[in-house]
Amino acid sequence: MGEETMGSLFGEEQTAPADNMTFKQGLDELEGIIRALESNQLELEESLGKYARGVELLRSLQGKLDDAQQKITVLLGEFDPASIEEVDDQLS
Amino acid sequence: MATLSNMMASDQKASEETAGSAAISVTTALSLAKRSLEGIRVKVIGEVSEFANKPGYKAVYFTIKDDSSSLSCMIWQGEYHKLGIDVKIGDLVEVTGYFTLYAKTGRMNFMARVIEYAGAGDLRLKVERLAKQLEAEGLMRSERKRPIPPSVERVAVVTSPRGKAIQDVLRTLRRRSPYVEVFVVGVPVEGKDAPSWICEGLSVADASDCDAILLVRGGGSYESLMPFNDEQVARAVAACAKPVVTGIGHEPDNSIADMVGDVRCSTPTAAAEAVAPSIGDLQSRIASAGSRMGMALQAKADRMQMQLSALRARPIFIDPQALTGNLAMRIDADAERLHRAIPNAMASDERNLANAKGKLASLAPRLFERQRNSIALSAARLNDLSPLTILGRGYSIAYDDGGHILKSIDGVNVSDSIQVRVSDGTIDCTVEGIGREEA
Repeated sequence: MGEETMGSLFGEEQTAPADNMTFKQGLDELEGIIRALESNQLELEESLGKYARGVELLRSLQGKLDDAQQKITVLLGEFDPASIEEVDDQLS
Repeated sequence: MATLSNMMASDQKASEETAGSAAISVTTALSLAKRSLEGIRVKVIGEVSEFANKPGYKAVYFTIKDDSSSLSCMIWQGEYHKLGIDVKIGDLVEVTGYFTLYAKTGRMNFMARVIEYAGAGDLRLKVERLAKQLEAEGLMRSERKRPIPPSVERVAVVTSPRGKAIQDVLRTLRRRSPYVEVFVVGVPVEGKDAPSWICEGLSVADASDCDAILLVRGGGSYESLMPFNDEQVARAVAACAKPVVTGIGHEPDNSIADMVGDVRCSTPTAAAEAVAPSIGDLQSRIASAGSRMGMALQAKADRMQMQLSALRARPIFIDPQALTGNLAMRIDADAERLHRAIPNAMASDERNLANAKGKLASLAPRLFERQRNSIALSAARLNDLSPLTILGRGYSIAYDDGGHILKSIDGVNVSDSIQVRVSDGTIDCTVEGIGREEA
């Protein structure tokens, strides 16, 4: 059973898929979930729903870190990102 | 340049002047010369014509010259680095220090303590004045300084696209924080147009959707860092809506841009390290988030388990009979009472019945005596009232031939047959005459 289905199963409010969020949004939501879980104010069903959502966020955040590849955009001036590669090659 | 032959020549002259006295050793002679030379402390201005800063050497060796003379100079490595300058051949420098003599070669050197670019004093004064002015305006107040946001994901780097700084920044970010997206804002960082370019670069960076701005520049001479001491640049840094992290020059360099920026780092690499958490930090943050979440849920489950166990321990679940037990006992008790109650009640009813029977038996004769008397009385009266009784007293009743009682003379005519009833039978008669009785 996917985490989303589990989330809706436990009456979790509809949330954006974790993969569509920025890293910061994901991390913020995850930390909010942990605070809520640690507050011990939730019903069990709600706790399970939040946990499922947290696991989804965790997996997505971890995936983002694992796949992280430096992205470079040049806004001004002439810069060749390949020049970094050259330096690295020389170093190695 | 002082050479050994020069020194020997002067030594010769000295010995001529001191003719007759005993010759002194070379060492003594040189220490004499050294002592008198080291008294000469001056500030010398000249153009750098040779420069050697080799790793492993205790000192940096260089030569300054003017049109007709040259002077070999040295400065201890540590002191040269403290100055934070990067002397190049052709630079016009002011060297403050004293002459000295290296006894082993007899070579004279100028021992520099301070090297400044010619006119640097004026420049420093100007920068210092600007710094004071901006400080007075409150641009450097600590409450203006914003912290770097905790999770920076996009960084704009304002620097030369060709310098070492951009390489350092990109390599550091790739190594530590590869998830960070970098916007390169390439601007010239040297020359008289540099300040306005840097201002333009800052405004481009600030308009982007970056989380923080890196304003960096590799090490260089005091002069080459001057664009970062520019008033317009300082104001542009202060005006940025995004936090500005500076890494300008090397450790001892402190530009006005550094002072006005939000976070000051000593080098471009340090700035790149400061601006974004390392992937390792984030990974451990995520891992700890995962375990905290697991623990929180586990704790929740444990608490509920405890509640359940407490409920399960209640008598009702240990002995389900208890639920109906009381009721069953009550029913038993009621049944028992009932069983005992019926025979008791019957016995008592029987006794009552016997009593009643006795009473009734004794009452019955007396009960009917009255009625009997009363009936006898009534019968007597009834007898008195009976027409038969009246006939007994001598009265009679006349009937016409239709059987109707004759109450008036008008009911008969002469010669009608009538019947007269007396007490013991009837007499058939014929009417012979009718006489009316006057009232």
